[in-house]
Amino acid sequence: MARALRFRFSRDEKLKYIAHLDVLRLFERALKRSELPVSYTQGFNPRQKIVFGLPIAVGLTSSAEYADIEFDEDLAPDTFILRLNQHLPDGIEVLDAVPLLKKGKIMSQITSAKYEIAVSMPRSMDQDEINGIVTDFLDNEDITVMKKTKKGPRPVNIRPLIYSLSAQKPDNDIYILDAFLSAGAENNLRPDLLMKAFGQKTGLGFVVESMHRKAMFASTFNEWKDPFEVAND
Amino acid sequence: MMRVKLDDTLLLQVEKPAKYTGNEWNMVRKNLEDVEVRFAFAFPDDYEIGMSHLGMKILYHILNKREDTYCERVFAPWVDMERLMRERGIPLYTLETYTPLSEFDILGFTLQYEMSYTNILNMLDLGGIPILAEDRDESHPFVCAGGPCAVNPEPLADFIDFFVIGEGEEVIHEIVDAYKVWKGSGQDRKAFLELVAGIEGVYVPSLYEVVYYEDGTIMDVMPKSQKVPDVVRRRIVADLDQVDFPDDIIVPYIGTVHDRIMLELFRGCIRGCRFCQAGFIYRPVRERSPEKLNELARSSVKKTGYDEISLVSLSTSDYSALPTFCDNLLDFAEKEHVNLSLPSLRVDNFSLGLMERASKVRKSGLTFAPEAGTQRLRDVINKGITDEDLNSSVQLAVAGGWNTVKLYFMVGLPTETMEDVEGIADMGISLIESCRPIANRDGGRGLHITLSTSCFVPKPFTPFQWEPMDDISTLNEKQYHLKDLIRKRTRNIRYNYHDPEISHMEAVLSRGDRRLGKVIHTAWKLGAKFDGWDEHFSFERWQQAFEENGLDSSFYSNRRRDFSEVLPWDHIDTGVSKAFLMRECKKAYEGDLTRNCASGCSNCGASVYQTGICFAKQRSKSQAGG
Repeated sequence: MARALRFRFSRDEKLKYIAHLDVLRLFERALKRSELPVSYTQGFNPRQKIVFGLPIAVGLTSSAEYADIEFDEDLAPDTFILRLNQHLPDGIEVLDAVPLLKKGKIMSQITSAKYEIAVSMPRSMDQDEINGIVTDFLDNEDITVMKKTKKGPRPVNIRPLIYSLSAQKPDNDIYILDAFLSAGAENNLRPDLLMKAFGQKTGLGFVVESMHRKAMFASTFNEWKDPFEVAND
Repeated sequence: MMRVKLDDTLLLQVEKPAKYTGNEWNMVRKNLEDVEVRFAFAFPDDYEIGMSHLGMKILYHILNKREDTYCERVFAPWVDMERLMRERGIPLYTLETYTPLSEFDILGFTLQYEMSYTNILNMLDLGGIPILAEDRDESHPFVCAGGPCAVNPEPLADFIDFFVIGEGEEVIHEIVDAYKVWKGSGQDRKAFLELVAGIEGVYVPSLYEVVYYEDGTIMDVMPKSQKVPDVVRRRIVADLDQVDFPDDIIVPYIGTVHDRIMLELFRGCIRGCRFCQAGFIYRPVRERSPEKLNELARSSVKKTGYDEISLVSLSTSDYSALPTFCDNLLDFAEKEHVNLSLPSLRVDNFSLGLMERASKVRKSGLTFAPEAGTQRLRDVINKGITDEDLNSSVQLAVAGGWNTVKLYFMVGLPTETMEDVEGIADMGISLIESCRPIANRDGGRGLHITLSTSCFVPKPFTPFQWEPMDDISTLNEKQYHLKDLIRKRTRNIRYNYHDPEISHMEAVLSRGDRRLGKVIHTAWKLGAKFDGWDEHFSFERWQQAFEENGLDSSFYSNRRRDFSEVLPWDHIDTGVSKAFLMRECKKAYEGDLTRNCASGCSNCGASVYQTGICFAKQRSKSQAGG
């Protein structure tokens, strides 16, 4: 039982076309329907006390989204999961939750994320060839692309934000890229921007078929940790 | 059965792809094998507009309560989506099951504003349905249309198989029942149309013949067979508490224009402002009971999770039980963190207490609609408010903490002179002056006004249905003059005005006859769609369409009709008599006011419906207002 929880949720194909703000609103309304005792802020325009780890872009599916939520009374994680899932639309599901002993700070904790990006290549290539392409790409010290910022588009070198990148060639014509990227309020690298840079540098005319976020991490003392592990740090 | 397939290469290229994917909370899911009738409810505009429409929510709910029927939704795809759909040969589909429109039994359009007419043609075309009713056969859906613009159905007569005049809650059941009978009978398409023509409120244009004089005016409109009525009377619901009202409305993922619970207090309006079509075509006033509304408010919040409720009616302050109802509702709203918005509060009986309490939850903007700038002209249009009324209400508002106020006016009203136009600026400026001491208190920044003018468009079934509309250059002249005047005199007023070219076309379509079908068709072929959107409207395109068909748009918009002329909508009966409208028109020219329905009956004719305010006990003087 706890007054606050950190929870993980997934989003699948059915709801991947809605933007981050729509996801926030969706949770707000689901929580209202669930009649769970969510805490509200004080003031003229009371808001539910819920904070999300990372924004989720249109088109991205995920099995690892995180949020912190506060309640007016003690609540068991299982009760929360069961009740909220009854009121969430098909396509978003709460998977697990852990108690928070104090106010959570998920937003400032998240610093990296792992993605799985499926692309179809214009021609078939074997594992060695695609490995070579990825290695050459990563050998660039400067990978500068135009990034949308609050002050408008500006050039950013994204190479330091790529922690690792590798490719698998399964049996069919789809190639899977595994990307480990910097994330969070400070240095966020979106997978679509990575793929834009990858396309520009390699000159390959591939098509991105899907992008999936499979993990998010917090860093403490140079170690990547699961957000649940650092819930009460 | 075909199901449209969409993928990322399409959806990630368009703006707000969630407009095209459905799957929202409360979307109705049915097993297609279990239903007999498939109905597609079509809103001929963007998803964000259409999903804000209460009528669609009501009929979606009512049709889907029937086990034998599945009602789905379709909207006009925005231009980016349409381009990709056409490129890839994807037909227009419904959001519930991704079924192409051509596979439905009945396709029903709602006609909320005239400038959406070309979108209807575009949606039919995208859906794989012949645009002209006469080209459809037994393999095609029946295309029907209803909503406020259906009171003059004639401009759309070429495209629509049948119209539903008036409120749909009851007549829609009769139509679906008739469809089932026809489907089982194996008869041809015309047999169904003759069957529904026998339902009160249903108008089948192909069963009527229109004969014109040489000057283009109408000689007569005659039924082609004895089985169809000479005059089609508008349907209404006698008791709002007895019809279903949805509390399980679909909750969109993306923001829409009215993204909230809408509680409909009543239909109709007691006021009778002479320019206002809604004030005449929804008579008589019928209220929903406060008990029912309170129940609906609670269950709606529970089923949708919305945190805002808006009270819907033509004039909120005229709801007879408003004070007690709002008290009760506000108690609930405060407890549940729900915001209450109170639009259409009239300035002459503005309730300070109510305003104060509602603002405790959230302070939204305040809007006043004096409509005309001088007392003389306000008397002409029967808008019974005075400068003092407006002054005192705005002062109350400013004292209550509102520093921005919106004012709505019209230019081009019958009998208007430049003096009346200048009166609009005078009104705004005198409000700023009189509120200065209050607004500047506690270091305030003074009162700021957003003042908007729209162009008056004469509408069918109003006392001004015979009136010429101002031509485009006159309307421009009036609005530019006003703009200059305001700019010279104050910085505290922001002035917005309407494009008279769009209003001109609205006027043409709203009072048009059947011959306009060809013009609309040509305009669509020339690329007209989303005509209500400034960025898509092209007046040149419409002018070309008129030219190609040898017609003159000013015949419809700028011509004064004689009282004796047969109007294109004379075979539609809304309950309000033509004689009453003539009396009102004459009174307008004399500047004579007509009392509102709550203070006494003026014999408009709506009492034929034998319900509502016409038969309610006379309300007390204090509630009735001015």
